[in-house]
Formats: sequence, structure tokens, C-alpha cells
Amino acid sequence: MRLQTRHVLDRAFTGVGIVAIAVMAAALVVVLAPVVSKGVGAFLFRGTVEYRRMNLELFKRGDSAAIKDELALARAARQPVFDAVAAYEAECGLSELHGLEAKLFQLEQKYRALSDRYNDSVGDDRKALRRERRALKDERDGVEDQVSTLRQAHTADLKRLDSFLDDLRALFGPLPSDGELPITEHLRYGQVRWDRAKVKLHRVQFARYDGNGDGIIDDVDRREVFRGTAMEPVFDLMERDLSAMMRPRLTTYFRFLSDNNYDSHYFGGIKGEVLGTIYLTIGAILFAVPMGVIAAIYLCEYARQGRFISIIRTCISTLAGVPSIVFGLFGLAFFLNTLHVSENKSVLAGSMTLALMVLPTIIRASEEAILAVPRSYKEAAMGLGAGKWRTIITVVLPAALPGILTGIVISMGRAAGETAPIIFTAAVSQGAAVAIWEIASKGTPALPWNIYNLCSENQYVDEIRHVQFGMVLTLVAVVLLLNVTAIVLRARISKKLKG
Amino acid sequence: MKNLVQFTRSLLGKAALLATVAAIPAMADGKTLVLDGSTTVGPIAKAFAQYFMKKYQCDVSVSESGSGNGAKGLINGTCDIGDMSRPMKDNEFAAAAAKGVQPVAHVVAYDGIAVVVNEANPVKAITMEQTQKIYTGEITNWKQLGGNDAEIVVVGRDTSSGTFETFEGLVLNKKPVKATAEVVGSNQAVANRVKATPNAIGYVGIGYITGLKALPVNGIMPTVKTVQSGEYPIARPLFMYTNGFPKMGSEVFRFVTLHLTEDGQRMVEEVGFVPVTNY
Repeated sequence: MRLQTRHVLDRAFTGVGIVAIAVMAAALVVVLAPVVSKGVGAFLFRGTVEYRRMNLELFKRGDSAAIKDELALARAARQPVFDAVAAYEAECGLSELHGLEAKLFQLEQKYRALSDRYNDSVGDDRKALRRERRALKDERDGVEDQVSTLRQAHTADLKRLDSFLDDLRALFGPLPSDGELPITEHLRYGQVRWDRAKVKLHRVQFARYDGNGDGIIDDVDRREVFRGTAMEPVFDLMERDLSAMMRPRLTTYFRFLSDNNYDSHYFGGIKGEVLGTIYLTIGAILFAVPMGVIAAIYLCEYARQGRFISIIRTCISTLAGVPSIVFGLFGLAFFLNTLHVSENKSVLAGSMTLALMVLPTIIRASEEAILAVPRSYKEAAMGLGAGKWRTIITVVLPAALPGILTGIVISMGRAAGETAPIIFTAAVSQGAAVAIWEIASKGTPALPWNIYNLCSENQYVDEIRHVQFGMVLTLVAVVLLLNVTAIVLRARISKKLKG
Repeated sequence: MKNLVQFTRSLLGKAALLATVAAIPAMADGKTLVLDGSTTVGPIAKAFAQYFMKKYQCDVSVSESGSGNGAKGLINGTCDIGDMSRPMKDNEFAAAAAKGVQPVAHVVAYDGIAVVVNEANPVKAITMEQTQKIYTGEITNWKQLGGNDAEIVVVGRDTSSGTFETFEGLVLNKKPVKATAEVVGSNQAVANRVKATPNAIGYVGIGYITGLKALPVNGIMPTVKTVQSGEYPIARPLFMYTNGFPKMGSEVFRFVTLHLTEDGQRMVEEVGFVPVTNY
């Protein structure tokens, strides 16, 4: 080859190499930057007064008196909105309906109390109560009919108002005029995050429906919808005073990692997932490492190298390439349905399945590490009179340790991040954090599975993207941490061995 | 040979059990209710679980792996309650009977299946027949329904889904779905796909229609009211299956009768389904 060509080829190769590295770095940035920037939102955000109320009521955190004062201020700021609603209702002649609805609510409460008494009663008492209850039911049904007739008469006004109130509830939580609180926890609070509150404000200002009759659903300006009514000024007012109504403040939530989730991850943290991932990873390693290292020692030191062993080696390599879902199904069929290691999904079954999955990696890494120990070490040990076993334990293994450890930590990273093997053997989409003594009997939420579950099956997913990204960030951080540990450990041990 | 296999199997089982017992000296008896099955029933199960944990201090774990897996879990004894969005099939009953499991159905709620399109789609209504034709491939362009001149992106569910089976039974009359239809794994996945695709059509439970445009089918909008009155044509019951009728006062009993209480009814409504009770 001519020197010229060689130079050109050389440069081309360098160029391609640089481009490859640049692409990799860019990919890393493209993947990691949103994960980090959005994931941080789970830990650090602007929390509203609703957040502090939720924290106080659900988690018993915060200064009760201060929050009460703040809540009073926020409610005062919101009052003009409710006043405007009341004025609008009066304008449309809906006040009567309101009175009737309040009456209906009272009757329902009464009916319920009476039902409880009736259920506990016996004999004549019971008969009288039954009559009384029937009468009350008739009265209630009568009022209900009146309400529905009135509602029918005011359909158009009510439709406008009800959709507005629904959107308002999404922002503020239950309104003062609402009778009973919802049972579902997240419906009891307004928007806890300022960024979401602004989104919800937009929804209050612009309704989503087919405004001009062309069939396309788009933003309809409520200012226009309520033009000329008492509601008209509300929208500018809300835009101006939203921060007084929600009182956002920079909030840190590091307990995201150690709080149980509430209401399908709407509130609270990811303790169950974090613990589950830790248990599964450690469990997998506990099962896989002894087996893997012993197998590697046997393969390198004891087995007669021949056809049989090379077949086994090929099998192990093949096993390393088997898709993880196959391990998952195998785990279900073998550990749960055949061996019955637990009655239902459990951390134990999941760990065993993950252990099978990482076993080939550990065997191969350990084998390589053991084979890399210089022959002279072994010969020196033998020469000093050590037996084979003693040589392996005191000379070969310590020398191979950095390599083995690297294999272990890489496997840990893989076990922590793998979804498929645990779907059928360990992962549940909602469950309490598992205590250490329950690992043989309970399934657990786990980070990789719940990230998937959250975005594919959780119906609130658009409301709680921050939780999803928080989980992703946590998982990436865990895997990154494990890999860094591997590098550091390896460096330290090899330094020690050399020194 | 068979004996040997059995012997090995029992030995392995024992070894695993021994290892377990040795590894975990203190095993508590913390009772957990285990639910597995339908992704459609998932929101109800999760809301009930949250309520249950608070009220009875009883752990409940919920997995959503599809109706078929709910049935399998119940039959194999890996869950206490199997959530299903379709009734059990003959072969599942047979498998249950072979294992001595007696599946008992509890209808916890009704669900309407809404036919949904992207919000930017101008089509205003659809009929059962048109829906069927879209899914079987006879209608391929929105123009045929008075919409834009654009090809219809058909999004459906996998065949193991209870939602699919209801849809197949009520809308498709068992005709095969066209081969080019996209198949996704859950209600939310259908919703996500349709939200992101201007010319898509899909079907989801009425709890999932936020951000989508639900079309009136045969002139009836899918709402709690129209499902309750029986007007809306595509509706089905949602089940929780137990092994035998649970003992009164047991946790399982409380759980599968929760929907009959007033709180239960309200939770069912709040997560967007149609309650069977009317308090």
C-alpha cells in the first residue's frame, strides 16, 4: 500500500473513531439530560399550600398552626371565585336548586343514620324504624325528583357551570359548597405542585370541548362562554392571583425515596419500589455468587478440559444470551408452579430467577479472572507445600478477586434494572413495602417494573410524570452507583495486590 | 422413571424450603391479600386496596397482568382474588375443577367500552356497524365516515385482554380483526397511542377517556348514566373471582363485598366506573 493511502486510511479511522465517541457522548446526554432534569422534579419543586396540607394530613408533617394560617389566607384569596359562582347561580335562577341540593344532602345523611339504627334494631322497634325509613326515603326521592326537574330546566347553564366547577376542583380540590369529601385520596386535595397548578389554571380558563361544532375538540375560551355574566372577571382574577390562591414555595422532598406511595402513586414516594429493587438485587447476588464462583473454580481448576467441559462452556455462553423474558417464564413455571418456593409471587422467587439470569455472567467473569492469575503464583504456592485447595483459597481467589468483583457488580446492575424476569415471579403494581422477614411470602413493587407499569397502566400517568421520572432517575442513579463502586473497588484491590 | 422424577422434584422442593427456612428465621404471619389479573379492574382494585390498608391494616398487593393471568393465578393458588374483565371460560373452569378450585364470580362494577379517537378528529359519531367495519378492514378511510381524507390507524388490544373479548363479542360478532391493526397491551397504552396519533381509533374503558374524544355509538354517549340504564351498547361487568365463596368476616370476604358498601360505590364512581349499587 502506498504511504499516501495509508495516511488517508489512518486519518479516516481516527475520524470515524472520534465521531463514534461523539455520538455516544451525545446519546448519553440526550438520554440522561431529560432523565436528570425531569427526575429532579420529584425531589425539588415548588409545592403549593395544598401540598403542605396533604403532607400534614397524610404524613403528619409540618407545623399545623402555620399551615392552618396559610390555608386561611389561600381560602380568602379563592373566595372571590366562589362568590362569583354564587352570583352567577343567582343570575341564572339556580339558587333554588342549591337550596334543594343542600336539603337533599341533609336528607341523605339522615337516611343513612336511620339505616344504621334500623340495622342494629330488633322487634317492634325495628318495624317502627322501617316505616320511618320508608317515609324518609319517599321524601328524599321527592326532593331528588325536584332537583332533577330543575336541573333539566337549566341544562345549558348547568352544563357550563358544572364543567367549570369540575376543572376548578382539579385545581383547588373539593369546593366549599361540596357536601361530602371524596374517598379517593387525591381528589381531596388541589394541585400540590405549582407547575401542575398552572396547567390546571389553563384548563379552568379554556374548556376542552367542541366549541364551534366542527367535531374537533379544542380549547374554548371560558371568558367568551361566560361573557356578560358575573363569572366574566373570574378568569383574569385567577390568572393574576393564582399564586396567592396556591401559595407556591420551593419545596424539597427527599423522603420521596423513603415514603410509601399513596393512591396509585399520586402522593407519597417510592419506598416499596426502592426496597424491592434492593432486596431483589441482593437476593440474586446471594444466590448467584456462591454458585457462580464455585462453578468457575471447578471449570478452571478441577475439571478435566475436554469435550464435555467445552460443551458446558458453550451452554453457559448461550445461557447468557437468552432473553430475560424466557428466564421470567421459566421462573414462573419452575420456582412457583413446580417447586412452590412460595404460595404466590415473592421476592424469593424473583431473586432466584434473577440469579439464574446473571449466573452465566458471573461464571464467565470469574473464569476469566481465575485464568488470568499468573501460573507462577500457583507454582510458588505449590512449591511452598500448599495443597490444591489451599492454593485456590489463599492465592488464586484473592488474585482473581478484582475480576470476580467486577463481574458481580455488573450483574448487580443488570439484576437491578431487569423487568422481564420479575413480572411473573415477584413484581406487583401496588403493594406495601416488604419487610425483610416477608421476602419469602410477598411480592414487591420494584423500580423497573413500576416505571413500565406507571406509563402503560396507570390512568393518572399524565398527572404524575414527576413520579415516573423520579423513579427513572433513582434507578439510573442506583445502576450508576453500582458501576462506579465496581470501578473503585477494582482499582483499590489491584493496587493493594500490586503494592 | 416417573417415581424418580417425583422423588427428585419433592427433594428439590424440600431443599428449597429448607434453604428458605434457614435463611429467614423469623417469618411473620402478616396476612396479605394478593390480587392479580385484569388491567381494567386494576384502578378499582388499587383504590380498594388503599382503602382496605387504611381501614383494616391489612396489606393488599395488586398486580395487573391481564384477565387470563388472573384466572391462572386463582387456579394455581398464586392469588387470593383474580381480577377479570370477562367471565371465566369453559377451559378455565375445567382447569379450576381439575385442581379443586371453585371459582366464584363477584361483579364489582360495570364498565362501558368507549370508542375513542384523537381530539383533532372531526368525526362526530359512529355506529356499531361502522366500528365493526373499521376493525375488520372494510372501512379504511375517515372520509367514509364524513371525516378527513386520511387512512384510519386501527388500535386494538391483544387477544388475552378481557376488553378485547368483550369488544369482539359485542361489536365484531367474532369476525377477525384486520391483520394490520396495531395491538397494544393495556387501556392506558391504547389511550396514549390514540392521543399521539391524529388518525387513530381505539377502544378503552370509560375511566380512561380523559384527553380523548369518545364518540357516541348509535347516538349514545358512553357515560356512567347511559351504561347504568343499559342504553350504551358496549358495556360489560367486571369481576373479582375467589376460590369458593369467602368465609364471612374474612379479609377476602370484606374485600369482594366492599363494592356493595356506600364507600365502595363512591370509590368505583371516583375511579370512573359504573357501580352496581345505587345508594
